[in-house]
Amino acid sequence: MRALRLAWLTVVRQPARSCLGILGVAAVGALLFDMLLLSRGLILSFRDLLDRAGFDVRVVASDTLPFNGPRLEDATALARLIASLPEVEAVQQVRVADAETASGDFRRRIEFVGADPQARPMWTIVAGQDIAGRGEAALVINRHLAQTLRLSPGSSMSLTGRCGEAQGAPPLAFTVAGIAEFPFDTATADTVAGALSAAGRLCGRTTEDTADLLVVRSRPDAGADAAAAAIRRARRDVHVVTSDDLVQQFNRTQFSYFRQISVVLATVTLFFGVLLIAVLLTVSVNQHLGEIATLRAIGLTRRRVVSGIVWESAMLVGAGGILALPLGTALSVWLDRILRSMPGVPADLHFFVFEPRALVIHALLLAMAAIAAAAYPVRIVAALPIAATLRREAVS
Amino acid sequence: MVFQPTMTAAFLISVALLTQASPTAVEPAGILITRQLAESRGLTVGSVVKLATDPAGAHARLFRVDGIYEPTPDPMHFAQPQLDARMHLPDLLALEAGMPDERDRRGVTSINVALSDRDAERFALDVAARVPGLVARATSAPDDRTNTFIVVERFHLAIAIVTVVGSAVFLLALMVMLVDERRSTVGILRLIGFTRRRILLQVFIEGAVIALAGAAAGILFALASQRLFNGFFQWRYDTTLVFLRITPSVVWRSLAMAVPFGIAASLVASWTFLRQQLLALIRR
Repeated sequence: MRALRLAWLTVVRQPARSCLGILGVAAVGALLFDMLLLSRGLILSFRDLLDRAGFDVRVVASDTLPFNGPRLEDATALARLIASLPEVEAVQQVRVADAETASGDFRRRIEFVGADPQARPMWTIVAGQDIAGRGEAALVINRHLAQTLRLSPGSSMSLTGRCGEAQGAPPLAFTVAGIAEFPFDTATADTVAGALSAAGRLCGRTTEDTADLLVVRSRPDAGADAAAAAIRRARRDVHVVTSDDLVQQFNRTQFSYFRQISVVLATVTLFFGVLLIAVLLTVSVNQHLGEIATLRAIGLTRRRVVSGIVWESAMLVGAGGILALPLGTALSVWLDRILRSMPGVPADLHFFVFEPRALVIHALLLAMAAIAAAAYPVRIVAALPIAATLRREAVS
Repeated sequence: MVFQPTMTAAFLISVALLTQASPTAVEPAGILITRQLAESRGLTVGSVVKLATDPAGAHARLFRVDGIYEPTPDPMHFAQPQLDARMHLPDLLALEAGMPDERDRRGVTSINVALSDRDAERFALDVAARVPGLVARATSAPDDRTNTFIVVERFHLAIAIVTVVGSAVFLLALMVMLVDERRSTVGILRLIGFTRRRILLQVFIEGAVIALAGAAAGILFALASQRLFNGFFQWRYDTTLVFLRITPSVVWRSLAMAVPFGIAASLVASWTFLRQQLLALIRR
């Protein structure tokens, strides 16, 4: 405890220097904390979005990302087959079609999500009702579209399919049943969801039985992996991915840049922090070599003096590290807002996400930084020749 | 004005099925494949492969690999391996024939046009006026996709600002300590007649020299490490994309930030002592 008091007295004796040191560590620590939040933020946020949809297995026709590859043929039979598996609780067919508003001078492009109205929806109703039991003409629309076109539950809207060769399909009349939040919507997306058959009818295809993907919810007692394995056994020609697989895939490809950049920046930041504290402590020790030699001469053990240096380092890093948390949180909000302005990023996807693990790693890294920073000044103090130092002090 | 629809090289297909096939009597059409595709599937020039747009391999056709090319790095998709093949447009259309999906309709995604008078903006307006619904744009026109990089640049700038603030605090702490060390020297200089202004000028020059030397060392370090940084990311993503480039503009911006900060830190730290009474400086 005496070493701790010695360190405290050294710190408070030079408040300006100590404050600047703590502020420097706080700035560095805030950046380090943010890089830790960034390193897994996208993964956690993406996982949350996937879970929000309420389905943990996806069935597609090829190994490309959903909506980028070919469609599943005979989707209804496939959905029935999958629904009959004991590991599966629910199956939902999803078909996405490009559409546009059929009225007004400016034709707004809209993404139409077709799904089975009787199955559990992939969206969250925020106003009005869902499409279940309301027929093929019922729609739910997202908030952005509702605000832009001033639509509310009960409003009517006409949509035309953007179908290439079948561009001539007549517009379809719909009634807005409710307003919903779609997990993967961007801030400016215009999304509507309606019956699966309506998605086909937009392009005049009433008999086509295809789907972009099937989303499957596994039974809690079986789990996603067991459900995926059962589907693969039942149909070898389809591609089955669990939410975990998707997260891993995105972690390896789409999100890897931010993970790597966070590692690089965290390393640089930590190195910078160690350098900062090491220089502060070394200069401080060099300025007080005479005092340290005197303390050693009057009986303070080497261990106690060395402990004092380590405690001083711990105090500066600890105080800076604690200050770094609110600073880093505020900074992460700013940085997150910058990155989320990227085009095509879902409105609910975040780059910086807090998790207790980040806090633990932050504390561990700063503790390591405190020890590493104290290493050189400790060496100076430990190897200090008492008599020669006192003599040099007296002569100078 | 020359209309030149590109018959090769402009259309990339996602390879749904790619298998090496035995050569047959029918001469297969030639294709080019990316180095990444060749390496991942062990293909060489002369290999005969089967390509299909259907995941089950329906309507597959044979192609011969005529060449392997290094793809132009695409910053939008650098995290994904570029497994691309390029083929003549008629071969692509033939490959897509019979696809039931409207997404695979017969048609082209874009037509590249080489202009003789180079007035691309006027040409784009002319096309838009004559063919409503067709989007014509100059290749030099701003692209929405560049917004991604503008955002990434803004993010890096924000990180740089935080780093600079941290460095400034660090520098100030150091300068306070260094000036404190010189307290008695400054006192003696004042005693022998040096004015505050002259001492401050000396500190200013010293601060400028240290800041310039520090900034130069930082720039040299960045220049030396940029190859390492690029090498790591190019290896990681198997691309020739350049991730980090120290340009003259970056150098000047670094100097413009670092040198004034360095000088300011020296002056602020020194001024706190110079304001003190002479006797306080020499601790009497």
